[in-house]
Amino acid sequence: MSDHVDGPRQIGDPAADLSDVFAFTSPENAGRTVLAANVFPSAGASAMFSNAINHSLVVRRVTVAGLGDAARFKTGDQEYRFNCRFSVLERGSGGANPIQRGTCTFPDGQKLDFVVNDEKGASTPDGVFRVFAGLRSDPFFLAWFPAVLKKAPNLLLHDNVLSIVIEFDTRRGLDSDKGSLFGVIAETSPVPRPAGPIGHEPPRFDWVGRPEQTNMRLNNPAMAGTDDLRDLWNQQTPFAIAEEYQPVFRQRLIDSLTNWDMRDDHADWTPATLAASANVYLDDFLLFDVSKPMSDTSFLEIEKSTLHGDAYQTGGGRTVNANVIDIMITWMVNNDREFLQGGATDATKPGGNSFPYLASPNSQLQTLVESVDLSAQPDQVWALIGPFDETWHPLIARIRVTGTGVGQLRTIETIDGKFIIERLEAIDDSQRFYRYAGISGIQASDYTGTLDVKPKGTGSSVQWRVQYLADGQPDFIVKTIVSTLLKTGLASLQARFGAQK
Amino acid sequence: MIEDTCLEMDFPLATAGDIAVNNLESARQQSWSRFWQEPERPGIAEYIVEQEQLAAQFLGDMGALDRLETLVNELARVDRESARTALIHAQVAAMTHRFAEAKVHLGQAGVRGVFPDAANRLSLSIDQACGTRLQAVLEARRRTAAWPGRLEDLVPLGALLADLGEFDEADRIYQRALSEYQQVSPFAVAWVCFQLGVLWGELVPETQSSRAAQWYRKAIEYLPCYVKARVHLAEIYAHDGRTGDAEAVLLPALASGDPEVYWRLADVMVATERFADAEGQMQAARSGFEVLLGKHLLAFADHGAEFYLGSGNNAVKAFELARINVANRPTLRAFEQAYATAVNVGESNLASEILAKAGRRWGATAAFQLSPLASVALMTSKLMPDRSTVLQLTSHDPPNHGEVTS
Repeated sequence: MSDHVDGPRQIGDPAADLSDVFAFTSPENAGRTVLAANVFPSAGASAMFSNAINHSLVVRRVTVAGLGDAARFKTGDQEYRFNCRFSVLERGSGGANPIQRGTCTFPDGQKLDFVVNDEKGASTPDGVFRVFAGLRSDPFFLAWFPAVLKKAPNLLLHDNVLSIVIEFDTRRGLDSDKGSLFGVIAETSPVPRPAGPIGHEPPRFDWVGRPEQTNMRLNNPAMAGTDDLRDLWNQQTPFAIAEEYQPVFRQRLIDSLTNWDMRDDHADWTPATLAASANVYLDDFLLFDVSKPMSDTSFLEIEKSTLHGDAYQTGGGRTVNANVIDIMITWMVNNDREFLQGGATDATKPGGNSFPYLASPNSQLQTLVESVDLSAQPDQVWALIGPFDETWHPLIARIRVTGTGVGQLRTIETIDGKFIIERLEAIDDSQRFYRYAGISGIQASDYTGTLDVKPKGTGSSVQWRVQYLADGQPDFIVKTIVSTLLKTGLASLQARFGAQK
Repeated sequence: MIEDTCLEMDFPLATAGDIAVNNLESARQQSWSRFWQEPERPGIAEYIVEQEQLAAQFLGDMGALDRLETLVNELARVDRESARTALIHAQVAAMTHRFAEAKVHLGQAGVRGVFPDAANRLSLSIDQACGTRLQAVLEARRRTAAWPGRLEDLVPLGALLADLGEFDEADRIYQRALSEYQQVSPFAVAWVCFQLGVLWGELVPETQSSRAAQWYRKAIEYLPCYVKARVHLAEIYAHDGRTGDAEAVLLPALASGDPEVYWRLADVMVATERFADAEGQMQAARSGFEVLLGKHLLAFADHGAEFYLGSGNNAVKAFELARINVANRPTLRAFEQAYATAVNVGESNLASEILAKAGRRWGATAAFQLSPLASVALMTSKLMPDRSTVLQLTSHDPPNHGEVTS
């Protein structure tokens, strides 16, 4: 989700919001290329594509038109356009989920119908093209707070997106015999109407080339007080940024790249190389060369080598598992002097080696929250419930602890003889909270619990929050068990300390 | 007045309503899940406010208001002193018509350094909803709508103009919002259509019900689950004796649990002499209003007053609610309702007092001249202050020109 909610015009329909575009060699067949685009960042479990939007992946042939500080990538006029449109929902039979269908039109004019969320996808009769569209785990991961360049956990953990994956025979799909270097962008635009547009219908809603062109470069979060250029950028025609706006965008890119360079208080870029980089970024498309190897680490290699004045060695592109943010931040901040690793090394689920390559969608985390307001002071309450090994809960018979501090395990024996094992993940006595992860005993995965005590009025407020993915049992069973645990525990605190008046 | 152009215009293409609602619900749940993972994460609480607002406004999901209370309570627990918490608190308070509370939080947000644009936008909405500083609001709305002229800027301007009695201009603004809309959200388009329905069906002095019905139908076409549009359309059908059509429009909205749907359905059933069925619906309406008023008194005081003044059959309660409403947001419509309910319970002195207050606050406006209160005031001219007095009274506060239709 590298380009999400990146301008006021994107707020209309989240299904128009493009987040990422990918280009890589098929892991299943080196003679085939995969293009993918994601829309609808943070899509919910039942998300569907808009039937009013045309989704396009657009490819143009590219030539290297300059090296070093004169680095430029020139695009040809011919476009290879892959268009996907989607239907209204059809009712599923017998109470099943609704069905959505789609149609993809390929550069050679062939059309292919498919069903959304069908993992097998669909192929043209000649086998040249294959398409999948549907909900997937978001392969993008961002593990920094970009404004302050501080490591963070993956900010997109458990997120899903709507993906369109198109795989095709490279030679037949792109006439790769005529040249192997390409640029690709994805765009969303209104479905054309027979009557033609009314008013000032936009030519497109959104488009994306390289990751984070808008949210990190044009709208650098560390540059307070600058005009937000994202909306203006999104209105530009891909492969043809308007001449009149190029100076504005170029200057912003130079300013932003200068800011990124100085994030570590060390200048790793000369003004000339920064200006050259800005020119390269101004031509915003994802470069890939189908004649060279594309890997998880080849992202941006074509641009880097060209700026260094060298011939590029890889196919560049962007694979599903490429750590694009860390690659990009490292280059911008220290010109590859030292790799900057964010707070996560991969996405929620890594992509696979078989079609459709993006991992299956994440289940939605279930959340249970219970709280109680008490007349006692926060410290008094925390003294009872703060120790990880304290047996204050009426449903708990005893607790045995292994280890100390963060990482310690507690084995809980309930009054009906069941055992639950939990690991302490974080604790802060000054803030009166701890977080733990469930290891076993409750049939759920990704189980985390947080217990905290805050001041409230003349007393305190205790909140107990649990999130999990039901694993092997119907959700309501897990929900009943956990909910009982939470409510009974908090009720006992109310009985002990008194409710706040 | 300008001619109806509803059928002639080319409407924006939008995502099918069922897809948009499905996506809203799925994204809303996902947002909550993310919020509970990290409540302080920038942007997530703000996004939830937008999503819950859509759920309440279009789906009639009144649980959205309860969920928003949970949101602000949680933010107050974990991020009590921040500007964004104060701003979100102000937004949620304003959404439930707790305007005094909203202003306090908005002030706190300003002190804590919230972006002025966000604070000004909310401040304008509060003033418009309360009928205060309307000249300044109008000027600000016009400025914002001039460029870039987004739908979310044009609709509040249209609503304000409508409440000022500038109906043709309001119509033009709404139609401009439709023709210049550059996105595909059916929520946005349906919202404008609904506003046009209200304009021609309720706000103009001589209402045009068929024109209004056309707009409500269009709103429902874009967004089949648009509860308010269904209720308003059903009212027109019922008024025209088309009880079958009214019932057909209301039935799909029953699942929302909105008490107004039960109420209008009960009225249709009474009209078709199905009294036992009607009683069941009326019970549901009554208990629904009681629950809403218990939780969000100020948000539903005007709707509650309307219900109890009508089929809810409790004139005293209607008056009580109308007085609460007019004290909270002294708009012209609130005065009209308060006056009507006072007369209905025989409180002639209080009715005169309300009329006098309305005259003092609104008498100098064009909207007041179009209000039923103006003719009442004329008949009891001694209650009507002369123009110089009105100008004097309003000189401390920018002139007021009407209220926003929520």
